[in-house]
Parts: sequence; structure tokens; C-alpha cells
Amino acid sequence: MMLPLEAAALARGRPVGDPDFLHFSRVCKDYPLRGGQTLRAIDDVSFSVTEREVCVLLGPSGCGKSTLLRMAAGLDRPSVGEIALAGERVTGPSRDRGMVFQSYTSFPWLTVRQNVEFGLRMNGDSLALKEGTADYFLERVKLEPFQDAYPEQLSGGMRQRVALARALANYPKLLLMDEPFGALDAETRWQMQELLLDVVSKDAMTVLIVTHDIDEALFLGDRIVFLSRHPGRVREILQPPFKQGGRLTTKEALYDAPGYHDIEKHVMRMMREEGAGAPH
Amino acid sequence: MTTRTAHATAPTPPTAAPARSAVPGTPWFEFKQTLQPWTRVVLGIVGAALFLGAWQIAGTSDGVPRALFPPPTDVGRALWRLFAEQHFAADVWASFVRIMLSFGLAAVIALPLGMLMGAFAGVAAVLNPLLAGFRYLPATAFIPLFLMWLGAGEEQKIALLLVGVVFFLITLLMDNTLAVRTELIETARTLGANRRQILWSIVLPASLPAYLDTLRQMLAVGWTYLVVAEIVATTDGIGAMMMRAKRFVHVDEIMAGIVIIGVLGVACDGAFRLARHVAFPYLRYQR
Repeated sequence: MMLPLEAAALARGRPVGDPDFLHFSRVCKDYPLRGGQTLRAIDDVSFSVTEREVCVLLGPSGCGKSTLLRMAAGLDRPSVGEIALAGERVTGPSRDRGMVFQSYTSFPWLTVRQNVEFGLRMNGDSLALKEGTADYFLERVKLEPFQDAYPEQLSGGMRQRVALARALANYPKLLLMDEPFGALDAETRWQMQELLLDVVSKDAMTVLIVTHDIDEALFLGDRIVFLSRHPGRVREILQPPFKQGGRLTTKEALYDAPGYHDIEKHVMRMMREEGAGAPH
Repeated sequence: MTTRTAHATAPTPPTAAPARSAVPGTPWFEFKQTLQPWTRVVLGIVGAALFLGAWQIAGTSDGVPRALFPPPTDVGRALWRLFAEQHFAADVWASFVRIMLSFGLAAVIALPLGMLMGAFAGVAAVLNPLLAGFRYLPATAFIPLFLMWLGAGEEQKIALLLVGVVFFLITLLMDNTLAVRTELIETARTLGANRRQILWSIVLPASLPAYLDTLRQMLAVGWTYLVVAEIVATTDGIGAMMMRAKRFVHVDEIMAGIVIIGVLGVACDGAFRLARHVAFPYLRYQR
């Protein structure tokens, strides 16, 4: 983990670091059907996420993007192939790979601060606790005034900020997010997207995030892995050209970005093609 | 002038929804209504008063043998007599201790079992079929066995009260544990918590409010077994008093015993509710 100041210096440029920091290698997922047959839901997926990069898994529903994310977290296992983080094979969940879920997962019996400190307590990281790690991340997600509140007292967006701060306070090498803003209203959603990009840029986090929202993918992703479905395969990997000079900070900047409309149309067309023949 | 213009430009909306629940003459049958605390208290008293009034009228009307169906005033007098002249407080205390001992024992057995069965499918698979069978056996069927094994003393009564609740308790606590959301456990795993930590720091605190509710419900069932447990070879306790009273056809004293059991049950219920309110402050914000 880098110090926040070093991270801030890196934040404006393109991500630099290990190009195969997170590596999916020929990953397949099979589900057993009746009569001994199997259904291949994910087929031969290989791609890499560069260190300090925000990578988005985008695709129609049923493409297996959430399953890929859960496999990276170690919550599911690939049937074939393997996933490695910093050269180390993923075999199960660990504090190296923090996760934010779509549903609210704040522990209701703990205050906001206790939620954020949960990982450090579990790992016996008393040094980080004493150094004010919780304060730092509470401030990053603008929840300092609510640190003694219980999650039930908070709005949906605030609860997702608790989940984000809780994952980051544990100093993971990789942040995994499964449609983290899917349950939020439109206004809260773009605010959260801007906040997320700000937070992960300043701390130079490597992020893998699942979404089916094209706008969200183009705004957040340095790299976008588009998946086809039935079975899930990598169809195309895009790197939005308008991010060469650095990440965007506001949604308006996205709409003004040169080439934004072309790339959005292109992704929309892929979405439609993948959706064709799907049950309505 | 100004008021007239204001009226003209901004017509007042028809007095509707928000005001309705506040006005007197609130309709009785409105779905999901929130009542004022004092309204609830008054309505509760009215309900009890209606019941007691009907009982009083029935008990004092002609043709009803007063000795077999005494009105509430007679039962009240019997209660006074019992406490003042017949050391009934000692009986109540004996019953209370029996209930607390047996229920405490049941909770000590059921809490770890229910939690482990709910947390680990393997533990449930081993124990559940066996325990499900025991649940269907009537507790009273164990009385002859307990009399032979434990004699006619205190142990036999505690055992009966225990058997009456423990199997249900285990199953209900298991269900409470199963209801813990998977995402909470998965989140803890991705934060680096190990198996033991997840059990104590996630599964237990996530289930505790439900555990407390289950204990409250099952304590009520424990009270219902009390008289059965105190029928056999017992000299003290509320049930024993009621059996003595039956021998002399003192119906007013039997009813007094029933009333006291009800009162103690409601008091236990209140104690559990209070404990829940104090122990889980975060639940006050639940929507």
C-alpha cells in the first residue's frame, strides 16, 4: 500500500504498474444440469488488469460478470483456469481482495466507525487502528459527521460509502465492486461515481467493477472488458481514448469528451446484439 | 387584500391525507395505522375492562353457581387471602425458580446447538432428524420415565419443564441463525475474518435479536407446562396450590392461580422486551 501523498501524485496520469497485476487465465465456469450434463456459463475468459487501473466488467445480464468478480474475490471457484493477483493464485477470500456488494452489507449492530474498523480488528491490525486509518477513510467518503450513527439511520448512498470505506480501510491490494450503485437513485448514483473515482484515484487503488450501465462504465473505466453471453466470453476490450490525458472528474466532462458518443453508440450496439434472442 | 390575492393565486389543496390520522373520529379499520401511545393504553384497558365486566355479570347472575364460577371480585378476595394468610408468595417463588432454572438450562443447551446447526449444514444434517422426532413427543409422556429416573423431587419437575421447551427452542434458534444474510458473511470473509471470527462477530450478533424474541416466545410455553409439572407429588408451587384448592372445590383459588401465572408471564414478556430495547439500540432505527 502506498502512502496517500505518493498516490495523489500518480493520480492524474495513466495507471502505471504491473500490466498483469490481476490476471484471468482461461477461466471457465460450468454448472451441472440434470442427467449428468453441464452448462458452460463462462467460457475461456482471459484478460488482465493493470496495477492502479480501474477496470470495468460490462455486459448484458446473464453474461457471468458477477460470477467472474466473485471468483476474483475467492467466493466462487473457476471450473477450469485460474485467477492470480500479483502472481499469486486466488484460492479463497482474503483481506487482499476487498469487496463491495450491490445489496447493503453494513453490519447493523455496529456504528459507522466500527463498520469501517471491522477489517482491521479482524486482522489484529492495531497499528493501523491507532494511526487513524478509520478517520482517514471516513473523511475520504465524507462520513465523518455520521461516524457514531448506525447504518439503519443512513440513506442508501451513505451505506454504500460505509461499505467502500470499510473495504478501503483494510488496505486491500484490489477492490472488487459488484454493481455497487445499482440500488441507488439516479442523482445519488452519479454523485457516488464521482466520489468513487476521486477516492480510488487519490489512493491509487486497483479496481475491478461490474456494471451493466454503459454510462457508468465509460465514466469509471480506464479499461472496459465487454462480455458476450451464453456462454460468457470476452467480446471486446476497450480503452476509452478520451482518458489518455487522465481520468475524468465530473459526469459533464464525460459528455463533453471527444469520441464519447461514438464509443457509447458502439457499446450500445453490442448490448443490443447480445440481447437479441433473449427472453423479453 | 394580501390574503385574498394569496387565495386567488395559490388555491389551498383539499384537506386530505396528512391531517386524517390526527383528527378525532379516526376510522377504526384503517390498514397499517400508527396509534398514539396513550390511545393504545386506553384501548388495552378498555379490552380488559370489557372482559372483567362480562365475567362479573356472568358470575353474579342468577342460576350460576357462584362456588363453581366465581366472579372476578371473589377471585380478587381469594388472591388477597392466599397472599395474606396462606404464604402464597412462597409458592409463587418456588414456581418462578423452577421456571427460571429449567428455562435457563434449556437456553444453555439450545443456544450453542441452534447456532451451530444454523451456521453449519453438516451439524444440522446430523442432529436435525433426531431432534425433529423429539419435538413431536409430548412432554407429559416423559413424566413416568422421569419419576423412575429422577424420583419425585425437584429434578423431575425441572426435567419436564426442560423437555417441554428445549427441542422447539433448538429448532427455532437454528432457523434464526439460518436467516443471517449470506452477504454479511461473505463481506466478512473478504475483509479477512476467519471461521471463528465470523461465528462470533457476524453470525452471533446478527442473530441475537431474533434469539431474544425466540426465547421470549418459548418462555411463555414454559409457563404453560408449569401446572402439569407441579401436579405430581409436589407440596409447593402455584400448581400445587391449585391442586390443593381443587380438593376442597375452592374454584376462586384455582382461578387466582391462573391469574398469577398470567401476570408473571406478562411480566417476563415485558422484561424481555425491555432487554431487547436496551441491548439493541440500533433496532430502534429500523424501518
